[in-house]
Amino acid sequence: MNVAQRLLAKEWSALAAAILAGFVVLSLLSPEFLTEFNLYVMLRSFCVVLVVAFAQMLALGVGQLNLSIGALGGLVAIAAGGVMDKLGFPIALAVGLGLLIGAAGGLANGLLTVRTGINGFIITLATASVFTGVNLGVTESIPFYNLPAAFVAFGTERFFAIPYLLAPPIAVGAALAFFLARTVPGRYLLAVGGNPQAAELSGLPRDRMIVLAHVLSGLLAAVGAILAVAQLGSAQPTIGADWLIISFAAPIIGGAALTGGHISVAATSLAVVLIVLIQNGMVLAKVDPYWVQFLLGALILVAVGLNRLRALHARSE
Amino acid sequence: MRFVVENAGKSFPGVVALDGVSLDIRPGEVHALVGENGAGKSTLIKIITGLYRPDEGLLSIDGKEVRFASPRDAIAAGVSAVHQERNLIPRFSVGENIMIERLPARGGLVDYASVHAEARRFLDMIDPSMDTRTEVRRLSVAQMQIVEIAKALSLEAGLLLLDEPTASISGHEAEALFAVLRRLKAEGKAIVFVSHKLDEVIALSDRVTVLRDGKTAVAGDPIAAVSRSRMVSAMIGRDEPVANLGVRKTLRDDAVLEVIGIATTLGHRDLSFTLNKGEILGLYGLVGAGRTELARTLIGDAKVTAGKLRLNGAPVSIRSVSQALRKFRIGYISEDRKGEGLILAHPVRSNVAITVWRRVLNRLGLLLRRRESEIAGPLARKLEIKTPSLEQTVGKLSGGNQQKVSIAKWLAVEVKILIVDEPTVGVDIKTKSAIHELIAEITRGDVSVLLISSDMPEMIALADRILVMRDFLIVGELENNRHYEPMSRRIMNLIHGDFAGKGSDAEWETTSG
Repeated sequence: MNVAQRLLAKEWSALAAAILAGFVVLSLLSPEFLTEFNLYVMLRSFCVVLVVAFAQMLALGVGQLNLSIGALGGLVAIAAGGVMDKLGFPIALAVGLGLLIGAAGGLANGLLTVRTGINGFIITLATASVFTGVNLGVTESIPFYNLPAAFVAFGTERFFAIPYLLAPPIAVGAALAFFLARTVPGRYLLAVGGNPQAAELSGLPRDRMIVLAHVLSGLLAAVGAILAVAQLGSAQPTIGADWLIISFAAPIIGGAALTGGHISVAATSLAVVLIVLIQNGMVLAKVDPYWVQFLLGALILVAVGLNRLRALHARSE
Repeated sequence: MRFVVENAGKSFPGVVALDGVSLDIRPGEVHALVGENGAGKSTLIKIITGLYRPDEGLLSIDGKEVRFASPRDAIAAGVSAVHQERNLIPRFSVGENIMIERLPARGGLVDYASVHAEARRFLDMIDPSMDTRTEVRRLSVAQMQIVEIAKALSLEAGLLLLDEPTASISGHEAEALFAVLRRLKAEGKAIVFVSHKLDEVIALSDRVTVLRDGKTAVAGDPIAAVSRSRMVSAMIGRDEPVANLGVRKTLRDDAVLEVIGIATTLGHRDLSFTLNKGEILGLYGLVGAGRTELARTLIGDAKVTAGKLRLNGAPVSIRSVSQALRKFRIGYISEDRKGEGLILAHPVRSNVAITVWRRVLNRLGLLLRRRESEIAGPLARKLEIKTPSLEQTVGKLSGGNQQKVSIAKWLAVEVKILIVDEPTVGVDIKTKSAIHELIAEITRGDVSVLLISSDMPEMIALADRILVMRDFLIVGELENNRHYEPMSRRIMNLIHGDFAGKGSDAEWETTSG
């Protein structure tokens, strides 16, 4: 195999090519595209989506689906925002509380799934409704606006085109990649996803790994929610309501297997870049934003189709 | 380690799987566990490895009672097993799979250098040629089996339990495995060996326990004291059945399929042979010789890049599996019946009728259960599929009966050419001869069979002619006289010898250079 073939064999090669093509086309077509401000806008919208995609990716890693990511995110957003606005909690404490709620929500998802033996799809469908119910019951759909200035500033300030908001997602991505590739629990988690029966026969703590994946998934949903609050400058009860499709889209475009055991931080990140790029391109081209949803669906189909072709090609060799 | 099972009993709703079974596994011995499918071997194995808890009875290690709540407990107590089910993580490397139970780690981080070095050590015992960095999903079934064995060895357990370890590996690899087992035995390990291949059992074991219908039929007697025929009659409650194939025609010149000098994208070169009407043509070779790949080519799953295929004299090109089936009536019974052959969660009825759904539609295009049953019923009776009803889900049937269901579904479609790949792997003696009779019988209805098997006695018992393959080439063609001794010697000569000058037999000729 030469270098080009080896590159092509990588599952994210099609994504990288698409991103490259998108960049070239957009910079040729639109003079605004490469401006510092537009790059900043793109990177800023990248942050929350990336963490949300990671949250779903971890559930997919053990062969589970987490439908409650958005609902849990909404709950965390109003909880963290609420304690800062109404109770005057310092930022660190509010963030800590938010993360705790996220992890606890994930723990509930995981334990319910493992203890009852009911499919995670159904458990998280139910808990999603529970989380949303608590959210709306507490807030009566009224957002919290009165947030600490430093917190809001973190969501808007930038270093040239780089938003400060980008730091947490990058750190999370790096930590996650390292966790999955190099640590023992990370490998166990993927082993359980890759072949649950084998993992059990090998004496791996299968149930604990499924719970761990859900806890991490909830924790990342909370990170996404806190970033979203900072980005918006207010704690909206509707945060997370539109996360569901995108949370699946990115890992799947990145080649994740729904059956578990096959997820990639790099490919998921590239998929998010591509999604953001397309959204930005549509804004620049003044396409009605309602069509973004359509395009996202089409993109999933194209990406999955390309992956399939590549797999077939690899097999016939 | 001395591992004793005393009076173990286990029931499932409606079935008594084990009834007062005892097993005394001593250090430094290979203890064979044999019995037909459904005799209770799997249940006993699952009790020993901590997957099931017995309803009654005791387990003890070196005189101390033990209770396993999970496989983890059994592994911790020094019990290691090669299970029949695939026990590997597809996306992980060979090395990581072997070491998964206790990944070498430093400060919580996996130390991949030692993962591969350690794995290498155990893999070398069986197959030094395999790379520990290959992803498991890229391996063949036989290679995966070797990884499973290396994985079990890597636990360096006091008790090693192997459930049909040689079902999918070649004779050569099996020999390497037996050498390792003899060495472990000499080191004082206790070994439980489960196999349907009685020759292996006799060659390897010190003691044998035979189970029948969940009870002990032979209780750990020294192997020298148990003859092969006693083992068989203990297993099935009567003498070994010999498949009655009827009278086989010897003269054939009615070519159905002619393969002329084909090459494929999978690596075959210059293959030529003819399959005649009503013939059982055997394809023998070691695992990896390219037999299954040839079968896949014939059903349109891989591309022919050179040469010609002729069906009933007319040149054809087969482009897809569906076309092979519907237009050319070529069927393929996969060796991986659970993965590829059957829909385990569906009833017997629809598994049999699936190949003919187009024919059982009513005018509105709806499937009729009644029509499905009309097709499945007679076939199920003819093949003596043991099932409470046609509505039973296939996953609940025994391995042999599942195999019969896969055969039935191809009979339903009325194929002209049937390719059967390892039809009796993991199937008990009684069912095996029933399947052999079945294959012989369908050829009397003018169906031609291409038989792929790594089981030498099966090949010699069943095939009319035998093609021997090696490295994706056909290295010889033998007229089969069904005499085991001379035939097996000729086949082995073709596989291992420099076939050009060997043998005094005039019947065979090489067809490749």
